[in-house]
Amino acid sequence: MRRTVLLVVVGGALAGPLPAQSAGDTLLAAHLLRRATYGPRPGDLDAVLRQGWRVWLERQLRPETIVDTAWERTLARLPDPMRRAVDVVDGRTWRRMAADDSAARRVVVRQAVRQRLLAARDVATVKLLRAVLSERQLEAVMTDFWANHFHVFVRKGPVAFLLRDYEERAIRPHVFGRFEDMLRAVAQHPAMLLYLDNARSAAPNAAAPGRRAPRGLNENYARELLELHTLGVDGGYTQADVIAVARALTGWTVGRDPDGQFVFRFRPDWHDDGPKVVLGQPLRGRGLDEGLELLHRLATHPSTARHLARKLAQRFVADDPPPALVERLATTFLRTGGDLRAVTWALFASPEFQAAAATSAKVKSPFQYVVSALRATGAEVRRPEALLRTLRDMGEFPFGAAAPNGYPLTSAEWVHSAALAQRIAWAEALAAGRVPGVRLPPLDESVAALAAALLPGRDVKPLLAALPPEARAGGPRALGLLLASPEFQRF
Amino acid sequence: MSAPVSRRVFLRDGALALLTLGGLPPAFLPRWLAAQPRTGTRRTLVFVFLRGAVDGLNVAVPFGESAYYRARRSIAIAPPGRPDGALDLDGFFGLHPALAPLAPWYRGGQLAIVHAVGSPHPTRSHFEAQDYMETAAPGVHLREGWLNRLLQQTSRGRSLADGAAHAADHRWGQWGLALRGVACGSTLPLALRGPHPTLVLDPADRGPAVDDAALRLYRTDAGDLLARAAAEARDAARLLASLERQAPPTRAGVTYPPTPFGQALRQLARLLKADAPVEVACVDLGGWDTHVAQGAAEGALARRLQELAGGLDAFARDLDDRLADVLVLTASEFGRTVAENGSGGTDHGHGNVMLLLGGSVLGGRVHGRWPGLEREQLHEGRDLAVTTDFRDVFAEAALRHLGAQAPERLFPGYAIDPRRFLGVVG
Repeated sequence: MRRTVLLVVVGGALAGPLPAQSAGDTLLAAHLLRRATYGPRPGDLDAVLRQGWRVWLERQLRPETIVDTAWERTLARLPDPMRRAVDVVDGRTWRRMAADDSAARRVVVRQAVRQRLLAARDVATVKLLRAVLSERQLEAVMTDFWANHFHVFVRKGPVAFLLRDYEERAIRPHVFGRFEDMLRAVAQHPAMLLYLDNARSAAPNAAAPGRRAPRGLNENYARELLELHTLGVDGGYTQADVIAVARALTGWTVGRDPDGQFVFRFRPDWHDDGPKVVLGQPLRGRGLDEGLELLHRLATHPSTARHLARKLAQRFVADDPPPALVERLATTFLRTGGDLRAVTWALFASPEFQAAAATSAKVKSPFQYVVSALRATGAEVRRPEALLRTLRDMGEFPFGAAAPNGYPLTSAEWVHSAALAQRIAWAEALAAGRVPGVRLPPLDESVAALAAALLPGRDVKPLLAALPPEARAGGPRALGLLLASPEFQRF
Repeated sequence: MSAPVSRRVFLRDGALALLTLGGLPPAFLPRWLAAQPRTGTRRTLVFVFLRGAVDGLNVAVPFGESAYYRARRSIAIAPPGRPDGALDLDGFFGLHPALAPLAPWYRGGQLAIVHAVGSPHPTRSHFEAQDYMETAAPGVHLREGWLNRLLQQTSRGRSLADGAAHAADHRWGQWGLALRGVACGSTLPLALRGPHPTLVLDPADRGPAVDDAALRLYRTDAGDLLARAAAEARDAARLLASLERQAPPTRAGVTYPPTPFGQALRQLARLLKADAPVEVACVDLGGWDTHVAQGAAEGALARRLQELAGGLDAFARDLDDRLADVLVLTASEFGRTVAENGSGGTDHGHGNVMLLLGGSVLGGRVHGRWPGLEREQLHEGRDLAVTTDFRDVFAEAALRHLGAQAPERLFPGYAIDPRRFLGVVG
C-alpha cells in the first residue's frame, strides 16, 4: 500500500493513465534509468514511459528546470565544511598558537586532524544524500563522473575543507556546459592547486622568493593535466611538453582572502617569463594569459576529445567501449567546441548505448550499488555514518581514491571475492533493518512484486525460480537475496 | 568466451566436485595440512607493490656520490656517522634511518637490495608504469597480471590445461586453485588478475560468513566475472572462518603496524603459518608520490618507510622458520628525479630500488650495476638510469625461489635468460 502512495508522489506531475508501451520502450527506459541515474526508485520507470525517454533526458540535461525542493531542504540542514575551514585551516593562526610550546602544537594538530575528518564526512554525506534524494539525477551522476575525472584526494592537506566548494563551483556548473570552462575552473581552484602541488611551483630563478617560497618547478599538476585531464597518456606529448606546461603555469598558486579562505592567486614574481613551446607550437601569451592560452589549446585538442569520449563511453556504455561510438562522441565534442550537453545527449541517444548488448553489461561500483539499493527500496537515511563506513570498507569512500586518476570505471576493478562478500552481507543487513540510521518502508508485497519493483524492465522469472523456499513468501529474506543477486549487481 | 576461461570453469567445477565427494568441514584445512609431509616445495612469493613511485635514492642512499648531495639540498640523507645519517650497507650505499628495523636482516644475509632496476619503457605516468610492471609487459596493454600468468603456466611443471591432474595434485579441497594466488587487502591488484582463480582476503572483514543462498543465485550466471567472484567468495569466507578458529596467533613480541598494510601482512603470516598452499601473494602499500616536502631523515617519506620497515620486520619475525620458504619482493613503478624539485619533493623519474627479503635471498649486499649520478650518467639527463630490467629480477624470483619451470610465455616478447640474473635469489 505504502508503495502505491509513493508512486503517485513520484509520478504526480505527469499522472494519468499510462499509454500502451512496447516492450522495447520499457527496456530502453529501464536501461536509461540504470545508467543515467543512481538507479530507479519505485515509479520512476512509469514516469519515464509517460514522458518518453527523449523528453525525460532533455529535462535531465537542463537540471535548473527540475524542481528539487526535497533535496534542497535536506542540504540546507547539513553542515558546510567550508565553515570548519575558516576556523581550522588558517595556518598562520596555528603557527601563532603553537609558536614555541610543543604540547600546545600537538593539541592544535590533533584538533585540525579531527576537523578534517569531520569535513571529509560532511562532503561525503552531501554526495551520498544528493545521489539518493536529488531529482536532478543526471546532474548528480555527471558531477560524480567529472569530479572523478578531475579527482582531488580528500586526505591531502586542507583539500577536505575545499571539496564542497570545488564541486559546487568548479565542476557542477559546467557538467552540461563547456569543457574548457570546467578545465579552467579546476585549474584555478585551490583544491586542485594544492592537491597536485602547482601552488608550490615557481620559476627556478623567480624574482623575489620569500622564506617559504618554492625554489623551482613542480611537475605534478602539469603531467596529470596532460595525461589525465586532457590529452590522455597516448595523446602525443613528451617530457619536454610536461616541463613547458609546468613553466607556463608557474605563479598559479593560492592565497588567502580577508576571511582566511584559500583563493586562486597569480603571482607574477613566481612566473617563468621565458619562451615556451607546447605540442610543437609556441605560446604567445604572457603572464596569466599564457596559462589560459595553454588550457584553451589543450581543451580543444583532438586527443582530448578522444580521451574524454572514451572515458564517457566506458563509464556509461561498455567496459570495452565501441570504437565507432568513441569516434562519434569525439567528433561531437570538437564540432561543438566541447559542449558537454551535446556530448552527453549524443552518448545516451547513440545506437551503441541503446543496443541490447549494452543492457546490464556493467557491474555497479560500490557507491552505485549502495545508492541504487537505497533508492530501489525507498529507504530513508536518517544518519549516514554507517553507510559511509560501508563505502569506506567497500573501497569507494567519496573522494577517497589516493591517486589522481580517481576511482576505476570498469567492472573488473570492482568485482572480486571480498567485494562480493561485502555486498551480500550489506544487502542482507539493509533488508533486515540492521543498517544503523537507515529505515525501510514496511514490506507487504509478494516476492514477485518486490522483484518487479527492484529490477524494473528485467525478466525476473529465472531469479525468482532460483530463490530458496524460505524467500518465496517475500519479506526481508526475499528482499535481501534480491538485492544481493547478480541481477542487482549489474546496471 | 576465450579458451582459458572455459578451462578455468572446468577447474572450478572440478574443485567443487572434490568438495562434494570429500564432504569435509571448512575447518579441516589446517589440520589436514599439518598432517601432510613437508615436501619443501611449498614456497611463497610475496609481491609488495609500493604504489606511487617510492624515492629509491632515499631508500638505499648512495652516500658515496657527491652528485647526490649537490642535487638534494634539503632532502638528502646524511652519510653514516652524521646525525640522522644513513645506516651503512657497504661503504657506498646506506639505508634510510627509518628503515632501521630492516638493517639486522641485511646484516643477517636475508635482505638484499637491487639498485638502478626498472623498466625499459620511459613512461613517467604512474598508471601506465604500474600496469607495465604488474603485467611485466612494458609498452603493451594487457589485462592479465604477471603473477596470474605465472600461476597458469606453472604447477610443479604441469600446465593449467591439465586441470584434473592439477586438482588431484593439489587436493586442497574446496580452496583448490584459488588459494595459490591471494591478495591481502581490499582490492585485487592487476598483478594477480587473470583467468587463474584468486582470492582477495580483506583483513577488515570481520562479518559473518557469506550467505550461501545468495551465492547460489550466481550459478545461473556461470562463466562471467560475477559468477567467478561468487565461487571465490565462498572459498574466502570459509578460509577466513577457518583461520579465525585455528591459525596460530601472532608470535609473542611481534607487533604489526596498525594500518591496512600491517594487518594485511599479519593475515598473510597467519595463512602461511597454517601451511596454506599460497604460492603468490600480493600486498599493496601506497602514498609514495612525494612531490612536496618529502623530508629527509624525518617527514612524509620517513613515515611511509617506517610503516614499510615495521611491517616487513614484523612479518619476517612472525614467520620465524617459515621465512625460509618465503620471498618478499618489493617493486614500485619508477623512481624519482635525482634532483629535488622546487617544493622540497621529487618528481617522476626512472630507475629505482627493489628489496628482497627471505630465506632464499642472497642478501647482505646491494646488487646491480650502479650507473652513477653525474649528469652525463643520468637517464635523459635527470633520472637514475636503469641497468637491470625488472623482469630479470621477477624471473629470478619465479624460477629460483618458486622453482617454476622456465615458463616461456611469462613475459610477452621477452625471453627469460638466467645469464642476466643478478644472483640475488639462491
